[in-house]
Amino acid sequence: MNMDAPFLEVQDLRKSFGGLTATNDVSFSLGRREILGLIGPNGAGKTTLVRLISGILRPDSGSIKFKGQEIIGKKTWEIVNLGIAPTFQNMRPFRRLPIIANVMVSCLSPRAMKRGEWVKKVEAKAMDALEFAGISDMALEKASTLSQGDLKRLEVARAVATDPELLLLDEPFGGLSPAETDLMAKSIKRLHKGGRFGRLHSEGPAMIIIEHKLAQLMKIVDRIVVLNFGTVIASGVPEEIVRNPEVIEAYLGQGGV
Amino acid sequence: MGMLDAYIRRFLAVLRTEILVLPSRMAVVVFVLLLLALPLVTQDGYVLRVMILTAIFAILAASWDLLSGFTGQMNFGHALFFGVAAYVTALLNLELKFPPYLSIPLGAVGGVLTGLVVGIPCLRLKGSYLALTTLAFPIILLGLVFAFPGVTGGELGLSGLSRLTGSRTGDYYLITGLMLALGGVMWKITDSNTGIILHAIREDELAARAAGINTTRYKLLAFCLSGFFAGIAGGLYAHFLRLAGPSTLEVSLSFQVIIWAVFGGMVSIYGPIAGVFILNPLMEALRVVLERFPGLPEMRMFIFAGLVLVTLLFMPEGLVPWVRDKIETECPRCKIRNAFTRRRCRVCDAALD
Repeated sequence: MNMDAPFLEVQDLRKSFGGLTATNDVSFSLGRREILGLIGPNGAGKTTLVRLISGILRPDSGSIKFKGQEIIGKKTWEIVNLGIAPTFQNMRPFRRLPIIANVMVSCLSPRAMKRGEWVKKVEAKAMDALEFAGISDMALEKASTLSQGDLKRLEVARAVATDPELLLLDEPFGGLSPAETDLMAKSIKRLHKGGRFGRLHSEGPAMIIIEHKLAQLMKIVDRIVVLNFGTVIASGVPEEIVRNPEVIEAYLGQGGV
Repeated sequence: MGMLDAYIRRFLAVLRTEILVLPSRMAVVVFVLLLLALPLVTQDGYVLRVMILTAIFAILAASWDLLSGFTGQMNFGHALFFGVAAYVTALLNLELKFPPYLSIPLGAVGGVLTGLVVGIPCLRLKGSYLALTTLAFPIILLGLVFAFPGVTGGELGLSGLSRLTGSRTGDYYLITGLMLALGGVMWKITDSNTGIILHAIREDELAARAAGINTTRYKLLAFCLSGFFAGIAGGLYAHFLRLAGPSTLEVSLSFQVIIWAVFGGMVSIYGPIAGVFILNPLMEALRVVLERFPGLPEMRMFIFAGLVLVTLLFMPEGLVPWVRDKIETECPRCKIRNAFTRRRCRVCDAALD
């Protein structure tokens, strides 16, 4: 592992579905402690991009280096065990399992098991992940009974339980009420700070966050990358992005946020 | 005396706090006791033979549940594991003179290898595609059995295997005991952390991979475990009947397994076992009853199909989960199961309604 290499380096990533180019030579890099916002109109290739990083999709060309190591061609579960945890925009819980069992699956991944040797009980660690996400009081309910907002939190709890160094959040505020959104934003910041949540140890993961609720997103991200038609049209700190005419044209519309 | 006294006290305490509190647990205990007491009531060879075959099929149905119920890998050719193990056991016993306590475990290893042979090419298949592909495997093997009668005995199969214990009652206790033990092991597997991963793979394989689980490995594990337990059943079958024939590979057996499991209640291990123990003796009883009316056409399969259809119409989850829901209530707060007679949860004292 090369220590000088960037934490995450995406280079000339291209993926087409038939005639549609979802990501067209996308390049960007991410630091170990950074939170990156990924924005763009619907169909701009944001979800495709995070799915390429998590190995759910394979790119046609390009490279993704995580801590200097090429991860293209690796399987999703291998990438998760390297420390990149994906979440799904349209949540994918194990519906007929209780919430706690949903998170225990993540706790049983080799990465989480290796890092939790001092935790005898997988259940205890899973419970702390639920505590962190704020749904521990529903631990025994079936996932199929959860509301949209709680499913989002379950999605985050499952990802966090693998002890990621890079967390990929696909619309973490989607479908949440303003109050829930604030709570989720707080959780994300708390997680990024790192430290211990009961038996759960957070490394303070770097994050890539796809989000349409820009006002909330701007408050938590360090940097924003804007995609349009699969191409990066702008990249920079939030203040620059909202003033960039090309971005306003493509996405924000006249008047800004 | 003091030691014994303490043990008895401990036993009674466990009985009171763990067994007698739940009707389903009492039912399991009663079932086991009845099974073990059967030879004391009757030494009738026919009855014992029916119950021995029932126990063997119970292992088979539970092993199907492990793979198809828990892991969601729909196997429509489960007879394959059973048949391969039966033939391997027979060949080892007849050609190499291996005694049953070697030939049956090695036959089960044959079942495990078969699990790998089927599992690896089927890893990318799901749902009905997987079901159709697995359906093909035992048919292919059946063709091979008929193509090489020199090795497999063709239509007649391989006969003359050595006896298991030498007495019907001995066979009964051996096979029933093994069925209870293996059923317990399978239930324990599904109740462990591995079981949670198998559940997760059934529910959403991609999400399980996104949680860092090597789903390929666990799917193959499920195939191998299922092949192992089905293989034990196949080996016991061959040694008990002293015959391994083409009927062990037939499509009808594969479907029989599914009917037993779905009737009893999938994703539970005990459901399929109960299904076999209800349907198989019932079929035999029907045979005996219908023989008294020689004028009637063959009604057995008709009645059987009708019974299964009606049951599943009213109990879509299967018989055992339906009964269990009637005699037990889940506490809305702590999800602990309670006897239906209780008004308040036995653990958290929440009101049950």
